[in-house]
Amino acid sequence: MKKKDSILQAATYLFSRKGFKDTSMAELSRMTGAAEGTIFYHFKNKQEIFLTILKNLKEDILPEFERYKGEKSFKTGLDMMEETVSFYLYVAGLKEDLFSILHQRYPYELAETNPECREILEAIYNCFVDIFETAIRAGQEDGSIGDLPARKSALILFSMVDSLVRFRMYNLYDVGALYNEMIASCRRMLGKAKR
Amino acid sequence: MSVISVFNGLYCNEESVISGVAEKTGFRQIQDRDVIAAAGKLSGISNDRISRTFSSQTSIFNPFTHEKEKSLAYLKLAMAEMLAQEKLLLTGFSSHLIPAGITHVLRVCLIAEMSYRLAQAEASHTPEKDAQKLIRKSDEDRSAWTSLLRQEKDPWEPALYDMVIPMGRISESGAIDLIVANIHRDVLTPTAESRRAVTDFLLQAQVEAALACEGHNVDVMAREGHVTLTINKHVLMLSRLEQELKTFVSGLPGVKSVATQVGKDFHQADIYRKYDFQTPSKVLLVDDEREFVQTLSERLTMRDMGSAVAYDGESAIKMAREEEPEVMILDLKMPGIDGIEVLRRVKETQPDIEIIILTGHGSESDRKICMDLGAFAYLQKPVDIDILSATLKKANEQIQLKKSVSHSD
Repeated sequence: MKKKDSILQAATYLFSRKGFKDTSMAELSRMTGAAEGTIFYHFKNKQEIFLTILKNLKEDILPEFERYKGEKSFKTGLDMMEETVSFYLYVAGLKEDLFSILHQRYPYELAETNPECREILEAIYNCFVDIFETAIRAGQEDGSIGDLPARKSALILFSMVDSLVRFRMYNLYDVGALYNEMIASCRRMLGKAKR
Repeated sequence: MSVISVFNGLYCNEESVISGVAEKTGFRQIQDRDVIAAAGKLSGISNDRISRTFSSQTSIFNPFTHEKEKSLAYLKLAMAEMLAQEKLLLTGFSSHLIPAGITHVLRVCLIAEMSYRLAQAEASHTPEKDAQKLIRKSDEDRSAWTSLLRQEKDPWEPALYDMVIPMGRISESGAIDLIVANIHRDVLTPTAESRRAVTDFLLQAQVEAALACEGHNVDVMAREGHVTLTINKHVLMLSRLEQELKTFVSGLPGVKSVATQVGKDFHQADIYRKYDFQTPSKVLLVDDEREFVQTLSERLTMRDMGSAVAYDGESAIKMAREEEPEVMILDLKMPGIDGIEVLRRVKETQPDIEIIILTGHGSESDRKICMDLGAFAYLQKPVDIDILSATLKKANEQIQLKKSVSHSD
């Protein structure tokens, strides 16, 4: 493995577990065996390492979502929504590094002053929310989902599902026990029958 | 026919001037309470709550309620509907709701030296001490109002008006004649352009009100049905928000097109605020030296500490109760309830508020009394802002410590 890649790998590990601020260059240097000078040869500063990682994670995850969008064969939009919820939770389990970075405060602080970071994050969240919105719109077309504001409902649904990821990440509760009720709630929230 | 707007300082003999102008011109007078009543009708918000929009005191520490924005949007809407008529005499706070683009409005401001205002107050049997307090409060409200609507802290700034009339240097009838003589000037004749500005203002106000009801807070500009929305708040999923705003606004009646843009503050948010957890965020300044506290308040704001101001002991105690500051910076020598008494009472009812004494006249025995009463620190004026900052930081540590202890209970 190239030195640069091994630095990135170690940094991903540290950033996702300790957070950006608590990761020191000295520690990164110890873990990779690269002198601090070598690290600064490849990256201007800690922030640039972070942005490179975030960009790589984005490029890694977007195709997953594209693939998912391609392979849909659902009876109704409401079924598609159920599938979407479980797909999101599945990806969150699969890409722990990304999700633990996304559940930190630092990237959002950086995004306020750094346009590149902003763009990466917006692209990631757009593709997250898109799959929920697509399902809702599909459901509204086939009549399985009620006449509600699709864009806002997608955001609310997403924030619910994403909190479940946080629940699992920080072991707030045994998330497995919530899954069925989560799906039932979504159906109640979106379904046409009782509205 | 044109429109006259009159804004004024308290006790500037405005009532006589306004009624004189109304009599000579036959213009219909519209007061703040009329605009408030109309806004109340349009929005369903109570008149009392809407009238709080005019006060600088509302929601100092509470930027999360949208009530002020909503009330303001409906005040504008009410004003925009009224401007469909001309020959109006608009008085009070509402006069600043009219956008500058509407040129057939003669904008008048009545203001006077303090001595004249106090004399006026005395003539209406208000004791000087009360009058001073009332004038101070009222000037403060007016300053907050012009900075909110016109981005100008000085409510008497000549650039905001066509004429600023110095009452006291000009007689009552002289002021009336001056206003009446000016309404016939050519520049005040309504033109197609200035009437279009009224229509634009109406659409802008309608869009603002609709957005405020949805919980959105964006700047709205309208021109002949084309609406531009400016997003000032930092939002990560910006394109989604833009879509949402566009969809919503383009569905409103009278809107032909919608464009969105981000404001100049969007990208460069103040990152220091986010990083700085070391200083208290709610500081109440209590001192009767008006200029001193205002300067101090500005300097604290620059250091990212939100501050509110009280000029006497009584209001300090009241604000401590209502606004729940974290830290109070208190002068000892004040008219009425003095600093030591304020300290005693606040510490009795709200021991969690840390109080820093800042005084120019204190003695060693004062220091002892204050510290015994539970003051956090005792500083002498003039104070170095760095020393005050450091003391505030320490006070904050103390507060955080107390909080964490009470949480772990």
